Amino acid sequence: MELTITVNNREYTLEVDPKESLLFILRERLGLTGTKNGCSQGHCGACTIVLNGKAVKACLKKAKKINRANILTIEGISPEFPNKELHPIQEAFIQATAVQCGFCTSGLIMELFALLRENPSITEQGIKEALEGHLCRCTGYQPIFDASLLAQKMMRSKNSG
Amino acid sequence: MTEYQSIGKPIPRSDSREKVTGSALYVDDLRFPRMLYLKVLRAGVPHARIKSVDITKAELMEGVYKVISKDTEGLDKNLLFGTCIFDQPPLAVDKVRHAGEVVAAVIADSEKNALRAVKNIQVEFEELPHVLDPYEAIAAEAPLIHERNGQYKHLPTFVPVPDSNVFYKYHLKKGNDTEVFREADVIVEDEFEYPLMNHATIEPHGAVAYWDHAGDLHLWSSSQAPFVVREVLSDMFNLPMTKIHVNIPYLGGGFGGKSDYTIEPLLTLCARYVPGYHVKFRLTRKEVFIGTVLGRGLKGKMKIGAKKDGTLVGIEAQLYFSDGAYADTSCNVVLAAGHNCVGPYFFPNCNLQSFGIYTNTPPVGAMRGYGHPEGQFMIERLLEQLALKLGIDSHTLRRKNFLRPGDTNSLGQTISEHNGDVVECFNKMIEALTKNLLPNEDDQFFYGRGVAALVKSPVQASNAASCVFLKVNEDLTVNISIGGVEMGQGCLTVLAQIAAETLKIPVKDVRINYEINSQLTPYEWQSVASMTTMRVGNAILAACEKAVTQFKKNAALVFDCDISELSYDGKTVSRGSENIPLKDLVKGYQYEDGHAVGDPILSVGSSVVRDVTLPDLDTGQYQPYEWTFGAQGCDIRIDKTTGKIKVIHFVTALDVGKVINPDTARGQITGGVMMGIGAALKEKILFNKKGIMQTDNLRKYRIPTMTDMPEKFTCILVENPQPDGPYGARPIAEHPIIGAPPAILNAFQNATGISLLKLPISSERVLTALKQRS
Repeated sequence: MELTITVNNREYTLEVDPKESLLFILRERLGLTGTKNGCSQGHCGACTIVLNGKAVKACLKKAKKINRANILTIEGISPEFPNKELHPIQEAFIQATAVQCGFCTSGLIMELFALLRENPSITEQGIKEALEGHLCRCTGYQPIFDASLLAQKMMRSKNSG
Repeated sequence: MTEYQSIGKPIPRSDSREKVTGSALYVDDLRFPRMLYLKVLRAGVPHARIKSVDITKAELMEGVYKVISKDTEGLDKNLLFGTCIFDQPPLAVDKVRHAGEVVAAVIADSEKNALRAVKNIQVEFEELPHVLDPYEAIAAEAPLIHERNGQYKHLPTFVPVPDSNVFYKYHLKKGNDTEVFREADVIVEDEFEYPLMNHATIEPHGAVAYWDHAGDLHLWSSSQAPFVVREVLSDMFNLPMTKIHVNIPYLGGGFGGKSDYTIEPLLTLCARYVPGYHVKFRLTRKEVFIGTVLGRGLKGKMKIGAKKDGTLVGIEAQLYFSDGAYADTSCNVVLAAGHNCVGPYFFPNCNLQSFGIYTNTPPVGAMRGYGHPEGQFMIERLLEQLALKLGIDSHTLRRKNFLRPGDTNSLGQTISEHNGDVVECFNKMIEALTKNLLPNEDDQFFYGRGVAALVKSPVQASNAASCVFLKVNEDLTVNISIGGVEMGQGCLTVLAQIAAETLKIPVKDVRINYEINSQLTPYEWQSVASMTTMRVGNAILAACEKAVTQFKKNAALVFDCDISELSYDGKTVSRGSENIPLKDLVKGYQYEDGHAVGDPILSVGSSVVRDVTLPDLDTGQYQPYEWTFGAQGCDIRIDKTTGKIKVIHFVTALDVGKVINPDTARGQITGGVMMGIGAALKEKILFNKKGIMQTDNLRKYRIPTMTDMPEKFTCILVENPQPDGPYGARPIAEHPIIGAPPAILNAFQNATGISLLKLPISSERVLTALKQRS
């Protein structure tokens, strides 16, 4: 099938198999390897991207369901870094030492990107529940949780300032 | 106290910008010209003789370049590899010994085409009875998994028991080992289980192999042990190491699951049939479960005796490890568990036996903790029972028996001040834990508090070495090449801090080269045993000190003096009030007329483990490396209706020697504790009656998620310096996993009066136990 998608503000038209996953398209066809493949079964959250404003697992989205979709990946949230600033969520992950091996990081950042845009004042419990679908084997989650709260704070002060 | 510029500072991780932007490259992100893909056919039966493998249909399918099976021309059917016992073929030729074992492999132009061909390979098996349980595997009627057990080449330490499934028996004797309980007034004993587990790194294993037309082998792999891989490949293919290029990009977690080698022998063997092509082999999540290595898998009995006043007098234990189809590195786990199961306590008399047993599961290898969580789960649970029987508070019982300077451990080594202080760790942990009041039982919840202490020694080759190359660039920035692998633990940052401190320059001016290429990178034994900060750190310390001396030597030529008259401050080399900027010394010194003296700054450093011996075959005693002590405790809440356990507060106190980076140290602790919580409450590999793994994805094998996180973490870093550690640091990364399961199960017992001895205590098991009690 012919698939037209917008990824990180750039439009692509591709000839793909309708059963192909968005994860395969991003990584193997477009070379956007920042989105990680941890299980291809929707269990780990590492491939989470933002599709039409919602955080979704790219491994579970088939090509036939995403025609004309607007997609944002980790490569798209601070595309001009280091010439311009990092996104506050990325900055918060650095400051809170929320990154260890880094394999779950892109997925978590994209989940938070969608979450904090939709609900900037989400509660601590809300954050925990939203991130429950993301597995991390390194950090014990505490630094990721701390980074999430820090990101929320940074984004609020940025918006109010 | 020394004022440091970089040591002890919460420097942000040097790899975090790459990782938060998605630009850090892992093995599956690498792209090469002429790429092909490997997919494999796995046995699907746990124990069988291979009668035939028919690949004729597969060979003719679209996109297929090569199909490899036992009958493939040029395949050496006698090829066996291993680290302790050489018992493993890269591809099954006569038998399969676990259901995930590879019987055939297809190389094709896409994974899809390779997989299609795999499905068209026909294998005929003669199925054999299988065995999964270590007790059943040592029974007389058990099926023999390796008919040649005892005949394989093996390291001298690991003596197999022929005509049995026991590939290694370790026996440690200390004091009166035949009558260990002669002076005991009270004896307690119990039987324990620590199940098989999976490392569940979020990055699945992957590798790319490429044989060029000059006969060189290029490999990019997700391995923690590039130089072990190189050695194995050099032996396998009889290739000089100058023709093997092992490259390691960023690793998405290791925890022992990517040591020492996993998929590399099979992939390189297959890729050899298609020279000139880059062959990628990336495992599916299911394959990570069924086709790499597992961890733990202990069943065992322990018996301890004490005098009426609580003084421990003796310990007996038998540890049986279900170690899977091949010995892999489990020999060393068996050894470590055998002598570490006594915990950080003084026992004058020990009789400890530990068995490595072949079973029909994937091979069991290294896993964070490496033999320490298993045995110390037993001793920490059993001390709780002893305290009850003696009528002594369990904290008092522990304090009375902690290993103190002058005491001998199970191996007969005398503990000294520089080993760190378990008593201080324990006291600080208790102080932090008891700051919060434990609520009383109510209609919905039980509340419990439990503690455990821990000790760990790095289990490593007795000549394990780390080497580094250092160069100071013309702008005074520094590159240091290491063979240690950054797999998330933060070694790049911590090692840069050690270098910066020693060279008296800002951390930002140091780049630790994480890119490993075995042609360019100096030798490193491997990144395991929590030793990278310490061993690579010491090598860096040595290289930096040499660089400082070189700066001084160049300056001494200019000042025409002895280098002892000179001082170095990171900016200049000075003699009294005169000084020369380092920038003028870095390439040697050049006079105004153009002529130059001295040499560019370029140094090497190495650090080798010293005074480690091999176990005595009769007594089991030997000299391992240094020790790290710690203590852990927790408050938990048990839901009476759901059986769900919530950790309210988890406290860890570790004697880290010296904190290099408090943030990364804390990250190791929260991560390790969480893995321990997984072991305590959730994780267990299960097989069905046919010997097929049931928990083969991350939905069925459940690792902790954010909602399992304790409501509060407390991490206490105790600092009694290690004299031979860089700036006094000692290993800490695996340690936080050790005490978590026993602390949680002790808390459960204190809350409910129920003693559970098998991990994990899932909510179903808790509910059943509560029902049985009432």
